[in-house]
Amino acid sequence: MNTLERAMPPHRDKTDEGVTLRNHGDGRLMAIRGETSIAVKLRQCFPWSEPTRHLSLRDSDDQEVALVDDPSSLDAESRQALELALAEAGFVLEVTRVLQIEEEIEIRQWTVETKQGNRSFQTHLDDWPRLLPGGGLLIRDVAGDLYRLGDPARLDKKSRALLWAFVD
Amino acid sequence: MQQTHINREIIGRYIGQPGQLPPALRARIERDWGDEPVQLYALADLDAGLRLGESWVALGPRRVAVARALPDANGSDRGWDIHSIDRERIQAVQESPGLSANTLMLLGAPDDPPLAVARYTQRQRGAFENIRFVLDEAIVGRTVKPDADADQVYADAVARPIRDAQALVSRHRATVILRLLKYLAPYRRQVNFGMGAAAIITMVSLVPPYLAGYIIDSVVRPVQEGTLSRDAAATIAWIAVATMAVLYGIRQTAAHLRLKLMSVLGELVARDLRAELYEHIQRLSLSFFSRKKTGSLITRVTSDTDRLWDFVAFGVVDVSLSLIMLIGLSTVLLLMDWRLGLVMTIPVPLLCWLIYQHGERLNRVFLRAWRKWSRVTDVLSDTIPGIKVVKAFNQESREINRFGERNEAVTDEFNRIHRMWTTFWPLLMLAVHATTVTVWVFAMPRLLGDGAPLSAGVFVSFLLYTTMFVAPIEVIGQMARTMNRATSSAHRVFEVLDSEPEVRDSQKPVRLEPVRGAVSFENVTFAYDGVRQVLRGISFQVQPGELIGLVGPSGGGKSTVVNLLARFYDVTGGAVRVDGVDVRKLDSGHYRRQLGMVLQDPYLFHGTVLENIRYGHNEASLGAVIAAAKAANAHDFICKLGQGYDTVVGERGHTLSGGERQRVSIARAILHNPRILILDEATSSVDTETEREIQVALERLIAGRTVFAIAHRLSTLRRASRLFVLEQGKLAESGTHRELLAIPDGIYRRLYEMQLQLQ
Repeated sequence: MNTLERAMPPHRDKTDEGVTLRNHGDGRLMAIRGETSIAVKLRQCFPWSEPTRHLSLRDSDDQEVALVDDPSSLDAESRQALELALAEAGFVLEVTRVLQIEEEIEIRQWTVETKQGNRSFQTHLDDWPRLLPGGGLLIRDVAGDLYRLGDPARLDKKSRALLWAFVD
Repeated sequence: MQQTHINREIIGRYIGQPGQLPPALRARIERDWGDEPVQLYALADLDAGLRLGESWVALGPRRVAVARALPDANGSDRGWDIHSIDRERIQAVQESPGLSANTLMLLGAPDDPPLAVARYTQRQRGAFENIRFVLDEAIVGRTVKPDADADQVYADAVARPIRDAQALVSRHRATVILRLLKYLAPYRRQVNFGMGAAAIITMVSLVPPYLAGYIIDSVVRPVQEGTLSRDAAATIAWIAVATMAVLYGIRQTAAHLRLKLMSVLGELVARDLRAELYEHIQRLSLSFFSRKKTGSLITRVTSDTDRLWDFVAFGVVDVSLSLIMLIGLSTVLLLMDWRLGLVMTIPVPLLCWLIYQHGERLNRVFLRAWRKWSRVTDVLSDTIPGIKVVKAFNQESREINRFGERNEAVTDEFNRIHRMWTTFWPLLMLAVHATTVTVWVFAMPRLLGDGAPLSAGVFVSFLLYTTMFVAPIEVIGQMARTMNRATSSAHRVFEVLDSEPEVRDSQKPVRLEPVRGAVSFENVTFAYDGVRQVLRGISFQVQPGELIGLVGPSGGGKSTVVNLLARFYDVTGGAVRVDGVDVRKLDSGHYRRQLGMVLQDPYLFHGTVLENIRYGHNEASLGAVIAAAKAANAHDFICKLGQGYDTVVGERGHTLSGGERQRVSIARAILHNPRILILDEATSSVDTETEREIQVALERLIAGRTVFAIAHRLSTLRRASRLFVLEQGKLAESGTHRELLAIPDGIYRRLYEMQLQLQ
């Protein structure tokens, strides 16, 4: 049986107690408890309210293997592995500049610069950017991709003018 | 083909990413594979550092290739690093979905590093899911050969979210407007009359100011100066007054004709559009309705056609007349006195532009107000249906405050709008008046004898003409908005009209008269999206009069079997035959009349119980209706209703209970007298007592017909001639209840025992 498919030993409360984490360097996060090692995916319970805590580690069947409430309780290597996985799981495109917002038939077309590169995306006309608990705006496009505007007030003048109708 | 064209256009216009696997790269991959074709592909648009980039994952019959773009020193692509993997080495496929980054890993032997890793945004997820599906199937020993062209499947997966959100017909607005105007063609005579009347209004409007000037210069002044006799002057003056009276009469008659003709005409166009739209909607396949929201379709038939009515009746004429009016006025003014004419006409384009700019600014504020308004309606749509929860948690004050804050915010925005327009229009009028004052400034010295001579009459005409500028300027300034609104509606309407029904009758459809009810599935495969098969090579034969129970876990393909039998969709592979004839060759309307359906949530139309039972059979006698209702165990409860069979059941039959609605629908099916009957979870949403009554009704209904019954409660299928157990799109087991129970470790046996335990 593939180690990836092997079930972790039963752990009733599924907290992070006794779990160590390792990154294989190939993108896989491995959760190790005792003799058993299993590939896990990371899900943030609160991606916006508390992005770096309360992290759910889930197996290939999407069953929770462990819940890491506080990464600082892990050993240094586990923490490092977790941070790498967190960067991927919590990845959203970070908008740094808004170049154009155009209304079309039933959709709004956005052209933006992001930290990751240039991007065009579309939102429904009645889909509005969402205010995030920690500040900033979150836009969801029709395909489900998320775009974060950290602090709209610090964007350049043209971006602020284009965003004026969407920011309180 | 049309769909592929639209997908390509969407990708080219909106996505800003490649619309297909670069042909040179594809050719290279296929060459590397010994000319095996690329069957599916997807763009991995994130690199290992989670930056936007371009890598491709291509799937072939025996290999998977991952191609990464190699940037040169200038950052442009200079080639591809291609890494091919034998599919037989892939032992698992793992996808880790994130908020916006997904990772797909192709895994080989245990403990070995992944064979390939691809990262991509949600936009590419559909394309990757197609690849993942084929690989997953191969891992469990099932070969899936994608039927559609790889470019087509990719374009469909990437463009789908935008296509579903948007009604894109043509990128050129003029094309859409021209197409809309074609609806006027049958009413050419009325249009000509309407336009003629409008032209008369414009022309006639130009005459009175001219006459006023003429009377001053040619009658009043000569009389005052003694060069014209009083009698002659009186004659000319009265003729001029009479002419003016006649002209006003003509103008108002033309106005009446124009309003009447064009509003009736607009209404006729809207009627034609509504009729065409509704007729087309009725012919569209079910797949269209699964893509579009009901509310959006209703809006297209109602509000959008209404908006187009407004545009056709008034927008087109208003805009064209305003243009004629402005050109006419400018020409007349320049001809009367070119110096003053220039003073008056030069600011016209500027004023039009100012109105346009004001409209644009107002749009932005409207957008902001609309956003805040939607926050107000959010509170209402949250708390009014959920008022019980609000009260139970004693949150009334919190909700009042929440509403209050949002109400304040939206009021601020509305006040901003009011401040804008209440400032703009007086300022605009001031600009118009300033132009008039400028005319005075230039005219006054000339009237007093300095410079080129200017008569008092010409000046008065001039002043009267200047007042006529405002209305057409306003219309022209708002033209962009009018056109935008009309084209949006036209796009939404034309999108429906341009959608082709996916299920169509053949050129010479066959009519089975009568349908005997023999049904056979011959190696049927079906995929809703062309890739992910929900039925995989299903074959069975059913004799007329058999009762077939379709059972199995959710997602096994039970509903798809009945959807194909009803020909709501066409098979992807194989054939469904009724009495030996492929259903694709049948006259689908005639065939469906031989088909009855009783669904889990029966749909009753707004109307009386009688109308609902007689739906599709208006000729049925009242006696036949009662007989059907009795057979459906519905007669008694119907008699107890206030107005018996004439009781109105309300929208969707909401005044009846679930069990009552079900029995009315069974009565409808009995009256319909189908040869083939489909029962889709007909008793699952009612209590045990009602279920028993419905069961009795169903037993009467199924007698002598071929029946396909889907049921989760297996006990309801004990009387079935045979049971078909569907699991993962395959016919896993078939036989009688007893035969299936006798299979050790059988799926049916397991399901049956689980249900027994729960009871």
